Amino acid sequence: MTTILEAQGLSKNYGEVTAVDNISLSVKGGALFGLLGPNGSGKTTMIKMLTGQVRPTGGSATVLGFDVIKDPVGVRDRVGIIPEQETPPSFLSAIEYLAFVGAVRKIPDLETKADWWFDFLEFRDKKNVLCKDLSRGTRQKLMFAQAFIHEPTLALIDEPLINFDPIMQDVVKEYLAAYVKKGKTIFISTHILEVAEEICSVFAILHKGRLLHTGPVADLTARDEHLPQFFLSLVRKDRHV
Amino acid sequence: MFELFTSMVKEEWRMHSTMFGSLSFALFPVMIFGIAFMGAFLLPLVRSTLPAGNLSLIIHSNFLLLGFMVGAFGLLGNEVMNRRFGQASFLAYSARSLPLSEAHIFFTFVVKDVIYYFFLWVFPFGFGYILASPFISVPLNVALLLLLTLTLSFLYGLCTVFFLSAMYARSRPLLMGLVLLLGVVGGLLVAFTGMNPALFFPPLHLYAAFSWVNLILSLIVLSVLFALAVLLFSPEYAGTTREYRNMFSPLAKRLSILSDPALAAKDMIDLYRSGSAIGQTLFSFLIPLAVIWFFLSLLGPYLPPHGLIFLFAIITGVIASTMYTWVTMFDSFGPYACLPVTVGRLISGKLITFSLMQIVPAMFIAAAALLSGEAVNLVPSVVLCLAVSFYAVGIMIWLTGLSPNVLVYDVKVMAIYFVLLGIALTIFSALAFANPLYALASVLLFLPAWLFVQKGKARWDAVDPSGF
Ligand SMILES: Nc1ncnc2c1ncn2[C@@H]1O[C@H](COP(=O)(O)OP(=O)(O)OP(=O)(O)O)[C@@H](O)[C@H]1O
Ligand SMILES: [Mg+2]
Repeated sequence: MTTILEAQGLSKNYGEVTAVDNISLSVKGGALFGLLGPNGSGKTTMIKMLTGQVRPTGGSATVLGFDVIKDPVGVRDRVGIIPEQETPPSFLSAIEYLAFVGAVRKIPDLETKADWWFDFLEFRDKKNVLCKDLSRGTRQKLMFAQAFIHEPTLALIDEPLINFDPIMQDVVKEYLAAYVKKGKTIFISTHILEVAEEICSVFAILHKGRLLHTGPVADLTARDEHLPQFFLSLVRKDRHV
Repeated sequence: MFELFTSMVKEEWRMHSTMFGSLSFALFPVMIFGIAFMGAFLLPLVRSTLPAGNLSLIIHSNFLLLGFMVGAFGLLGNEVMNRRFGQASFLAYSARSLPLSEAHIFFTFVVKDVIYYFFLWVFPFGFGYILASPFISVPLNVALLLLLTLTLSFLYGLCTVFFLSAMYARSRPLLMGLVLLLGVVGGLLVAFTGMNPALFFPPLHLYAAFSWVNLILSLIVLSVLFALAVLLFSPEYAGTTREYRNMFSPLAKRLSILSDPALAAKDMIDLYRSGSAIGQTLFSFLIPLAVIWFFLSLLGPYLPPHGLIFLFAIITGVIASTMYTWVTMFDSFGPYACLPVTVGRLISGKLITFSLMQIVPAMFIAAAALLSGEAVNLVPSVVLCLAVSFYAVGIMIWLTGLSPNVLVYDVKVMAIYFVLLGIALTIFSALAFANPLYALASVLLFLPAWLFVQKGKARWDAVDPSGF
C-alpha cells in the first residue's frame, strides 16, 4: 500500500508552550491509524496541522500528495474532518448544515446522501431542528455525517466517539472498520483504548508533544500484550524521566 | 457574590487584552484621556464658531450613543443573548452551574459592563478635561459637573438599550407600540407647548443648570429604566426542538447569480433567525441615527447650505459600515475549519451579505433627503453614503479580518482606522459642502475600498485564524 500521509519533524509552538515537538510519522492507505495520548499531549494540534487548519512552526507534511502548508485548502477539499469541538453553525437546521457542506464541497445528489445518514445514525427526527438546539450527541452525529458524506479517501477524526451512547459507539465502530475495508484510510484520535485496540491496525502514542511509540497493533497481540496496559506503563514511565 | 463580579471583569479584560497584548489595550483609556486633555485646549478656538451650548450637546450625545452601543453589543433579543452567554462569555455561561439565579447573573453582568466601560471610556475623558481645566480657565466644579453628566449620559444610553432590548425579547409589538407612543407624545409636546426638546435628555439639562432636584430626578428616571430592564429580562435559555423548514437550499439557489451563494445564504439565515436583522437594524442603526439626526439638525445654522444632508449621509455611511460586525458576530472560524474554505473566501462571503444589507442605509438616506426637502440631492447623498460605507468596511477588513468587534480596542489599529477614514471624510465632506454635485466624486472611494479588501484577504489568509 502507498503512503498517503507523511509528517516530517512536525512541530507547533504556541508562544512558550510546545504543543507538538518534532514528530515524524507516516500512514499507509487502507490503515486505521489510532493517535493516542493523555490530555494535552498534542493530538488535536497534530490533526489541525495535518489538515491545514493551523500552520506548523517547524517541519512539513504531505497528505494525499498535497503539502499542508502550501495547499491547506487542497488538503481539506479531499479529506473528511471531525473537529474536536463539535460546533455546527447555530442557526442552521441539521439538514441545512449538511446542504451547506454539500454546496461548499460540491457534492452531487446531496439530499439522498443526507437522508441515508439521518437514518443510519438514527436522528431523522432532528433533521429540521436548529443546530444550537441539538443535544451534544446529536451534534456529534451531524459532524460525523458531515465528515463522511463525500466518502473521502482519508478521514481525520478527533475524538468522534466520546458523546455517543454505547449503542451508537458500536454502530460507528462497525462503520469505521468497514470503511477501511473498502480501501479508505482513517486517522483517529481517541481516549477509548479498548476501541482503539479493537479497530486500529496501527497506532501512535504521544506524550507532552513527543512521539513515544508507533507500530502495528498486531505486534502487541503477538507479544500477548494489551493496548491499555501498554499505554499506561509507557506513559507512566515517561512521566518520571 | 462579589467573586462572580470580579471574575467577570477579569474575563472581559483578558478577552480584550489577549487579542492584542495587554499593553496595547491598556493604552486605550490613556488615548481617550489624551484626546480629552488636548481637545480641551482647542475649546477656545471652537467656541468662536460654535456656541458652547451646542458643543456640550454634541459631547453629551456622543456619550449617550456610546451607552447605546455598549448596551447594544451582544444584548439584542434572546438569541444573541444566548450566544453571548453561551460562547463569548464562558463565565456567565458556567456561572449557570453555580447556585445563582439567572436574574442575579444578568444583574452582575450588567453592572460589570457599566463599570468596565466607565473606566475604559467615560472616566478617562472626564479626567482629561478636569486636568486641562485650570489651563483653559474653566472652574473645577464645571469640569467635575461635566464628568458627572457625561457619566449620566452614558448610563442613560446603556439603560435605555437594556430596557428596550428586554422589552424586545418579551414582546416585539409592545416595544413598537411604546416607541411609537413616546415619539408621538414627545413630538406633540414639542410642537404644541414649544418646550425645548433637550429637556427630554436630563443629563444635558443638568449640565446647563445644575440643581439637586434635577440630579435626583435624573437618577430616579435612570433607576426606573434599569429596574424595569432587570425585571423584564427573561432568560429563555432552554433549547426548543421547534422544526424549521429548509430555507437554505432554495435560498442558495436563488442567490446563485452571486459568486458564493452557499456562504451568503448561510449568513442571511443567521441574521434572519437570530432576530438580529430587525433587532440590530433598530438598535444599532435606526435609533442611533435618529438621535444623531436630531442633534445634527440643531447644528443646521452653522453648516453650509445642503450641508446637513451630506454630513448625515457621511455619518450614516460610517454607521452602515458597522453592519459588517453583524454578519461576523455569529461564527468563529471553527465551523468552517473542517471545510475547504479560506479566511479570504469567508471574508468575500460576508462582504456579499454586507453589500445586500446596504439597501437599508441607501433607502434610509433617500428617505431622509426626501423628508428634509433635499430631493434634488437624493442621488449624490446616497452615493456618498454608500461610498463611505464601503471604504470604511474595506479598512475594517484590512485591519481586523473576521473579528472587527474586538480589535476596535487596539489603540494602534484604531488610530490607523481613524486616520484613513478621517482623510477620506475630510476630503469628501469638503467637496460636498462646496458643491452638492461634487459628492458624486465619492465613487472614487470604491477603488481604495477594493484594494483594502484584497490586501485584507491576503493578510488574514497568511495567519492562523484566531481561536485556533
Ligand atoms: N490555541 C492554543 N493556544 C495555546 N496553547 C494551545 C492552543 N492549542 C493547544 N494548546 C496547548 O497545546 C497542548 C496540546 O494541546 P492539544 O489540544 O493538541 O492536546 P490533546 O492531545 O488534543 O488533548 P485532549 O486529549 O485533552 O484533547 C496543550 O498544552 C494545550 O494547552
Ligand atoms: Mg484533543
